[in-house]
Amino acid sequence: MATNEVIVEFDRVSKVYQEGRVEVRAVKELSLKLHRGDFTVLYGPSGSGKTTILNLIGALDVPSDGRVLVEGNNLSGLSRTQLSHLRRDRIGFVFQAYNLVPVLTAFENAEFVLALQGVEKKERYHRTMKVLEEVGIADLADRRPDELSGGQQQRVAIARAIAPEPVIILADEPTANVDSANAAGLLNLMERLNREKNITFLFSTHDERVISRARRLIRLKDGELASDQTVVQ
Amino acid sequence: MNFSESFRIAWRNLLRNKRRTLITGFSVAFGVLLSVTFTASGDYSYTNMINTSATLGLGHLAIEPPGFNDTPSLARRLAGAEEIRDKVLMLPEIESAYVRIMGQAMFASGAKSIGGQVIGIDPAVEDSEHNIFIRSLVEGELFGEGLSRGVLIGSKMAEKLRLALGKKLIYTLTDRTGDMVSGISRVSGIFRTGEDTVDSSIILLPIDRLRKVLDYDEEEASLVSIFIVDQRRADSLRDRLELLIPRQDREILTWRQTQAELAGLIAIDRAGNYLMQFLVGLLIAAGILNTLMMSVLERKREFGMMMAVGMSPSQVITMVLAESCLIGIVGLLMGVLITSPWYYYMVNVGIDFSSQIGDDYSTSGVLVDPVLKFRLFKESALAIAAGVFGLTMVAGIFPAFKAGRIAPVDSIRNI
Repeated sequence: MATNEVIVEFDRVSKVYQEGRVEVRAVKELSLKLHRGDFTVLYGPSGSGKTTILNLIGALDVPSDGRVLVEGNNLSGLSRTQLSHLRRDRIGFVFQAYNLVPVLTAFENAEFVLALQGVEKKERYHRTMKVLEEVGIADLADRRPDELSGGQQQRVAIARAIAPEPVIILADEPTANVDSANAAGLLNLMERLNREKNITFLFSTHDERVISRARRLIRLKDGELASDQTVVQ
Repeated sequence: MNFSESFRIAWRNLLRNKRRTLITGFSVAFGVLLSVTFTASGDYSYTNMINTSATLGLGHLAIEPPGFNDTPSLARRLAGAEEIRDKVLMLPEIESAYVRIMGQAMFASGAKSIGGQVIGIDPAVEDSEHNIFIRSLVEGELFGEGLSRGVLIGSKMAEKLRLALGKKLIYTLTDRTGDMVSGISRVSGIFRTGEDTVDSSIILLPIDRLRKVLDYDEEEASLVSIFIVDQRRADSLRDRLELLIPRQDREILTWRQTQAELAGLIAIDRAGNYLMQFLVGLLIAAGILNTLMMSVLERKREFGMMMAVGMSPSQVITMVLAESCLIGIVGLLMGVLITSPWYYYMVNVGIDFSSQIGDDYSTSGVLVDPVLKFRLFKESALAIAAGVFGLTMVAGIFPAFKAGRIAPVDSIRNI
């Protein structure tokens, strides 16, 4: 459940891209806060700044102006290596196209971030098997991504994201490439992880199936906050 | 992520495109083949030339009176030469050592006279392995011990002086005091080394006879000529001999000093050989760099995703360098496979160039074997392996850093 603990804070954040000679203002002086346990959806038309916000929170991009704070750390003040460590230890990513490492098995993909953290092999094995069981694909642990369905691959991606026990998971169109049954299953899984592990989820999506599950809806328009509402379920 | 995990992923990445990995590995293997060909032919021919040159009289190492190398006068004498020889032979690395007298002389027959070099040897200890003249006898035999009046002459000298076995040869030289002295001997043997300059200008006499003519003391000589098992150890052995024979009235020289012209020729040839290998290596490294670069650019999104989930730039660099390292290892193994039959053939059979250069091609007064063979020293083999592997690693540096500099946000924008 959401608490008062602020995980992410946007303080008058702007992001400007230069596309050729054209200056694109993807985010305009946006301020918002995400709390521990939030299950939030960012939605809005294409080009409204959803992915840019995810990239800024995920320490993949830096703001042109303003401050992005994750657990109180101003990302603009961190080095490239510190940003890598922040992504590795505190943030989980779930991408639209799964983005598993094709040469690794489901197990190896799920343990990938733990290996980056230098977690000892035995502990890594137990933690990875546990998360694979949690996402319901422990029996497919030895398969490579090309031997898994889209839904199964996304489950592996979720396992990879939750294995290091991050404070927030950023999910960019996580259901875009899966059918309805699989989408429902994935959303059930993420809801359960949010509820049981109190992991903060932030989705960027157009998908009504995701929007309908949100407990907080942030609508964006032209890089600005159009609305921010808490959904009572 | 530790090294073994980086190598595991790198290995699987290489297996992902087996054909490309094989082609890249073959490039490295081809580099090994070329490098072995260049180096082993050099190791063989240089060693052959050095060893042949050593058998012309001076050995791999020579202990001489000071200044003898620059001015090889018979007035310069090495006292206690036999005692020095006995000491030298105590070192296990020394194959053999001979006391010799060497100097300039005039030779005359009833028909003609010519200038040349006389070498006094002890027939009781000399053997054909370390003496090209004895090895190249085509008529007659080596003279006897003591004050024998036999002489060995070259086939070209025999022609010029119109001498045959049993005929008289008069030699004239300057003795220890600078006076002209002469001796007379009968031709006991004729040698033909194939090198005209040698065959027309050198005679061999019994050392005792020469000592008597020159009025040398019993233990005096021009030099102690030393043969060692491995000519590459000449410098280190000289240093040891310096300690073993702590005397002021002698100098110890390696073949590089006594055969300076040959040493220079080998050094130039070796430098050209290295340059050629370096250029071939560069070409191969450029090919490997190109392949690795392609492989990195193809996986830009993958690297971006890995960095997005927390892989640091240094871990990405390590992973790509691990791929480079594995290509190097695979290439070296393939190189051993494709080079072995070629090397085996060249060691045992070789390629005969006598139809192109003849049987008596020489350089710097040393006959060159017209059959090109291989010999690869252990150090050379290790240098080739290290060089080829090093080049492969160097070729991987740029792609690795390119991968490490990928901005995850750019590569995953379309994910």
